[in-house]
Amino acid sequence: MLLLKLAFRNIFRQRRRSLLTALSLGGGYILCVFSFSLSEGSYNSAISFFILDHTGHIQIHQDDYLLRPKIHKTIDDPQGLSELLDANDEIISHTLRVFAPAIAYSDTDNAPARVIGVALERERSTSTLAVKISAGVYIDDTLDAEGYYSAMIGAGIANNLNIGLDDELILISQGADGSIANDIYIVRAIVGDRTSPDRATVFLPLIAAQEFLSMYDSVHEISILLQDDGAARSVATSLQEQLPELSVAPWQVVESTFYQSMQTDKQGNVFFMGFIIFIVFIGVLNTVLMSVLERTREFGVLKAIGSRPFKIALMITCETSLLASLSLIAGLLVSVPFTAWFTSVGFELAEPMDIGGIVMSHMTGEMSLYVFATPLLLIIFFAITISIPAGIRAARISPTEAMRSH
Amino acid sequence: MTAVISTFEVCRYFGDDQETMVKAVDRVSIEIERGEFTAIVGPSGSGKTTLLHLLGGLDNPTSGSVELSGANIADMSGATLSDFRRDHIGFIFQAYNLIPVFSAEENIEYIMLLQGVDASERKRRVADMLQQIGLEGLGNRRPNKLSGGQQQRVAIARAMVSHPQIILADEPTANLDSKNGIALLDLMKELNQQSKMTFVFSTHDEKIMSRASRLIHMHDGEIELDELR
Ligand SMILES: Nc1ncnc2c1ncn2[C@@H]1O[C@H](COP(=O)(O)OP(=O)(O)OP(=O)(O)O)[C@@H](O)[C@H]1O
Ligand SMILES: [Mg+2]
Repeated sequence: MLLLKLAFRNIFRQRRRSLLTALSLGGGYILCVFSFSLSEGSYNSAISFFILDHTGHIQIHQDDYLLRPKIHKTIDDPQGLSELLDANDEIISHTLRVFAPAIAYSDTDNAPARVIGVALERERSTSTLAVKISAGVYIDDTLDAEGYYSAMIGAGIANNLNIGLDDELILISQGADGSIANDIYIVRAIVGDRTSPDRATVFLPLIAAQEFLSMYDSVHEISILLQDDGAARSVATSLQEQLPELSVAPWQVVESTFYQSMQTDKQGNVFFMGFIIFIVFIGVLNTVLMSVLERTREFGVLKAIGSRPFKIALMITCETSLLASLSLIAGLLVSVPFTAWFTSVGFELAEPMDIGGIVMSHMTGEMSLYVFATPLLLIIFFAITISIPAGIRAARISPTEAMRSH
Repeated sequence: MTAVISTFEVCRYFGDDQETMVKAVDRVSIEIERGEFTAIVGPSGSGKTTLLHLLGGLDNPTSGSVELSGANIADMSGATLSDFRRDHIGFIFQAYNLIPVFSAEENIEYIMLLQGVDASERKRRVADMLQQIGLEGLGNRRPNKLSGGQQQRVAIARAMVSHPQIILADEPTANLDSKNGIALLDLMKELNQQSKMTFVFSTHDEKIMSRASRLIHMHDGEIELDELR
């Protein structure tokens, strides 16, 4: 109590200097929280973007399909697997997909296309495909009067082939058995616009694609959406144990290029934060040492009349930590509402920014304990660390010399 | 008579080199009796401050011993020595005695806090001391709102409040004008007579010396004359 009282008054003694120190501590803190929030926020929105767009939290494939996709690397009992996944509480939903390259034709033009067959209803609850439709309606897997399946096509293909809703689309590819695959589909929906990643994709009902490619019941990919964003690795591990003959990968592996560039970037952030804190603390160290030097005589008196050296060192630590705490409280008061705004509203970037391959034009922050607590703990830790040499210095002051110096 | 403090051949030399070594205190043997009001006098550089610091355990002697209530201060260090000073010795310095961020009361209270005296007793003793030094009503002023003489009075109160064996004062009046200096010394003398507390102080000032009951004259670190009056 006595120490706190002393510390408190000593801080308010050199108001200007304490204020400057507090500003640099609080400012450093706010800067760290902001940069943390920004990086966490933009990565998290990038992550949730591709997780919801197509990747899911976890994917299941046959063998190394992920690295070297081949039409014959198929999952052959998707029904059984679906039952298993549906029974898992940690999983919200999953979808089944097949993939094949194809050439798309209209009456007048042709263009390369990526065919994706999706389990329509499952896809609707697993990815944002339904939301991305810019014209027409989400298809079903029934045949029309003439015996054709429906298709949803990327806006790029629609443009290249000069076709629109209700037009015919012809696809040619190679079936899993090596045969030539070709069939006619009716365009019922356009997906995205001419710049979206799906611009050259043709989405078919799963059954239509399986028939087209002579794949029977088999699929290439199962994409899984989890309840808990953070559980991808652990659920993937336990699924892998249940499915030893298949390859189960969390999004960190599926999107490994993104994941790695994110990790590198986050390391850069930590370095940046370390640098800020370092700069701040050179200033703080200077202040603390100066205040010890100035008070040599005072510490001399305190020691002479019987304060133990340890108590004196503690006094300095107390003072520095108190100042840091006050600055951090002020920093929190500023950064909490700011981060809250930044998280819920965010701002538009003048130039879109590429974050690990995903182009973003709207930045939002992240509001989490991690964002606030990491720089806070670091600053408290450094404040205490820095006060120790100054405290030792004060504790070592010899009363005899202190009395002579002035 | 019982000696509160006694030194035997105590020396304090500065510097290692034989040629340039300063013998600030050289083979001083003295005994201070309980209740004495003693002045250490002598020209500048004669070793008064150094001797007072040796008596109070602020400095370690080069050789010889300083005994207070049978304990040799020269053998102590660290927290033990701090606690010893806290419990047995009161200090008054020439200036800047007080902790600037504490009020007069808090300055007086501080050592009792270190000693763990309980709150009601602390309060009582602080009030008592303020009254004795004639500063009732000024207890919550900070040092910078007190005159030099008032500050020194508070320093006396702080030194006395923990009931030490001895109070050591190094030129307590040097920063005061002569009127205030004499008033301060009269206060010290009065407190000495009332409480039988032992006081040893140093001074240059003839008028101040004249109040002492014993004068220890120093010259070049040695005791030149030790007179009772
Ligand atoms: N830390 C030190 N290092 C070197 N010499 C010192 C040190 N402290 C004191 N001295 C020397 O010891 C001698 C005695 O000094 P001291 O301060 O005890 O004298 P004093 O009688 O108190 O003088 P004054 O009346 O000026 O206060 C002086 O010559 C001084 O220069
Ligand atoms: Mg002196």
